[in-house]
Amino acid sequence: MKTLEQFSQEINKCVLCGTCRSVCPTFGVVQREPASARGKVALCSAFLHNEISLSEGFIKQMNECVQCMACHKACPNDVNVPDIILAARAEIAKEKGLPLAKSFILKNILDSERIMPIAMKFISKLQGLLFKGVPEESGLHRRFPLPLIDERRVVPPLAEKFFLEVRSQGPASAGFKQGSEVRSKKNTLQPRVGFFAGCLINYMLPNIGEASLKVLEKAGASVIAPLDQLCCGMPALGMGDVETAKSLALKNLEVFEQYELDYITTACSTCGDGLKRRFKELLSDEGDDIQKRVEIFAGKVRDITELLVNELEFKDLNAPISDSGLLTPNSIVTYHDPCHLRRGQGIADEPRELIEMSGAKLKEMEHPCRCCGLGGSFNITNYEFSMAINRSKAEDIKNTGADIVATACPGCMIQIKDGLHQLGADTKVVHVIELLAFHLASPLTGED
Amino acid sequence: MLSPNIVKELTHIVGKENIQTSKEDLICYSYDATNQKFLPDAVLFPKNADEISLSLKLANKEGFPVVPRGAGSGFSGGSLPVEGGVVVSLERMNKILKIDTDNLTAVVEPGVITGEFQWAVEDLGLFYPPDPSSLKFCTIGGNVAECAGGPRAIKYGVTRDYVMGLEVVLPTGEIINTGTQTIKGVVGYDLTKLMVGSEGTLGIVTKIILKLLPLPEATKTMLAAFPNMRDAAKTVSKIISSKIIPSTLEFMDKNSVSCVEGYSKTGLSTDMEALLLIEVDGDSGLIEKQAETIKKVCLDYGAKEVRIAKDKREAKELWQIRRAISPSLAKLKPNKINEDIVVPRSKIPDAIIGIREISKRYKLINANFGHAGDGNIHVNIMIDKADKDEAAMADEAVREIFKLVLDIGGTISGEHGIGMTKMPYVGMELSKTTIDVMKKIKQVLDPKGILNPGKIFPQV
Repeated sequence: MKTLEQFSQEINKCVLCGTCRSVCPTFGVVQREPASARGKVALCSAFLHNEISLSEGFIKQMNECVQCMACHKACPNDVNVPDIILAARAEIAKEKGLPLAKSFILKNILDSERIMPIAMKFISKLQGLLFKGVPEESGLHRRFPLPLIDERRVVPPLAEKFFLEVRSQGPASAGFKQGSEVRSKKNTLQPRVGFFAGCLINYMLPNIGEASLKVLEKAGASVIAPLDQLCCGMPALGMGDVETAKSLALKNLEVFEQYELDYITTACSTCGDGLKRRFKELLSDEGDDIQKRVEIFAGKVRDITELLVNELEFKDLNAPISDSGLLTPNSIVTYHDPCHLRRGQGIADEPRELIEMSGAKLKEMEHPCRCCGLGGSFNITNYEFSMAINRSKAEDIKNTGADIVATACPGCMIQIKDGLHQLGADTKVVHVIELLAFHLASPLTGED
Repeated sequence: MLSPNIVKELTHIVGKENIQTSKEDLICYSYDATNQKFLPDAVLFPKNADEISLSLKLANKEGFPVVPRGAGSGFSGGSLPVEGGVVVSLERMNKILKIDTDNLTAVVEPGVITGEFQWAVEDLGLFYPPDPSSLKFCTIGGNVAECAGGPRAIKYGVTRDYVMGLEVVLPTGEIINTGTQTIKGVVGYDLTKLMVGSEGTLGIVTKIILKLLPLPEATKTMLAAFPNMRDAAKTVSKIISSKIIPSTLEFMDKNSVSCVEGYSKTGLSTDMEALLLIEVDGDSGLIEKQAETIKKVCLDYGAKEVRIAKDKREAKELWQIRRAISPSLAKLKPNKINEDIVVPRSKIPDAIIGIREISKRYKLINANFGHAGDGNIHVNIMIDKADKDEAAMADEAVREIFKLVLDIGGTISGEHGIGMTKMPYVGMELSKTTIDVMKKIKQVLDPKGILNPGKIFPQV
């Protein structure tokens, strides 16, 4: 990973024109220069010139970025502000250390394939005591004050059975034996696809994982979800903990290398962006061998929508389009472009094609690529700010009059659901892949 | 440095939340698009004219500089606090107060984003034409202060032509209203026109009455590529003499276009010497005909290729090339000396050839683009400031370019303003007597010289 110092040339590329003010969502809410991408670059420049230290004000501004990449996309000089800010966060974490709770969670729980599921299981059992259900919603409100959880917030409950847990107990997926057993050689012409679940799908929204497997198999892939896969590390990187992110990248690389895979896919835009792009950066100062391996790994990664449309050439659902329930041929679906899919991976058409394949009518909202405001842990540390950014997204969705808003990232789904709930809108929030899976065999349950 | 007492009084005026003195905040209000930095001592975010009035009265009493600021996207340093003091950011005063569809007027606060205002009136079938390239992020207050123009000036004029009246806080703190809400009005001197383009040195504008037009029914955008630069420059006046006033007639030379990412996507040849971006607007039947006429003129006068945008998306792509030029020039060299000279339309070929010749003689890289239709060319000399010889050469070259421009009947700044970057050259265009008259006006309105000091007039 490049250090902030190594970004000085990138920082000098910024001519302070102010274009980013028109797209930066944090500036949109605060309406003051330090909240804008230009302001943050100016602060990083001042820090590198020893005009300011890693002061509280500096740290605040570096943390108040949702990493949506809209500034980078709009910048006439192609200044990669999001990565400059990540490097600043890494600098802060290195010099100042992470807050104790964050550091403990990242280093001891997230970075362990054994402890993470146990910890999540523990919370899952406990959540009934801490939260109460929201009527008509598959979300929870807290029962009494809890650190980091705002009282208005609708928290998605942890799943009773985690996705990978079900996988380890249930029948094996087509073409692969269950568990992490290694297959020695290909005996099928089916493309072999490794499924990277990601934490949100594994622990909170396992239905998306199930839907993904169902659709991938229908599309002719042979799928395995390795049981010992870990968090993609992007939350750690976002907080500036490069070491944990690196360790996770390396471990995941080793897990997926055990299988002879043609593709590695995920239904989480953030994980996908991380797997494709960040793993290489994180492991760039490792030996040649690892760099070669991570290059091969990254070359196999596809977002699930990209894999289905471009690689598996999945053109026809080949199933009766259901005319009742969640999705009918009369359903109007609007689509939200996740930042890490649209700007991070340049994928915009594929999810839209899949929505149309599901038989629904696609109706675009006014600003489909505007950030939902989640920004990883930004949503936890700056809940109100995060929801203020979400407001225009929620209104945009409501204004379409759509029955369903589909997106391709579980993080966006959680955020959008919370925002719509607070706006009093009853638009259903689903993953694109769930729309397809809806028509295949058993209808969706649980997560609406 | 401001004394703690002054900070306390300012805090009392605007409230604790609306004054910033931390180093981080000061850094973020120290720059504009000139890429130069001057640290203020405090930043204020007033919400109305009264708060600005009280702050200016205090400034007069205590003698500290006050510098108004919109989005900080100016090209001449108009909002830079060159002598420190207090930056008055108008970011909070960003409301559209009224759009009057009967009288075709609107009243806005200075912090309104120009583009957002345009979209708001367009929703009502109305039109606010001034369109600086920065319209998505610059403010109308800043446009008024600098008298911003834009590509549409050729047909529709500049900000000045749309400002009917103002509420202004004078440097001494009094609040006055200038102009009228009516098209006609001749009572007293035209203080509105005096304020527009005064670069925040004569007052802080707090309300703006704007004239609106009906929205043209349709627009047609096209791009013409010329293998010969002189042909392109000539074509500009040929189009006008064919009795068509396009709503846009933009010129871009090879060096300008080469920096723009995405140019290649248009499929136009990359070895062209110059491009013209042309737009006509109005009745949809009429503009089809006009577009064809223009296409013919371009081809007759040496264009190798003319691309007419099929739809809005294609038009947007063509515009994107033009809008992206200015900031992307940094790819040529890190520092940009950015001039916005104007010459009579018929003199454009002379001007461009002269400018090229001067740059060549001084061995400087130069990129020219701009609003050729109204004779306004953005001359950019790209240098590396660290190279002292090159910087000195550039200064000399600018002086020669200005001399050339003035000799052929032009002016040294069309729409960016003088600010601090063009201060040394004002005397080339204005006589001593003219400058003295201007200074007297400044002296009457701002006897203590506290409002935006160090701008426009060369310091002796």
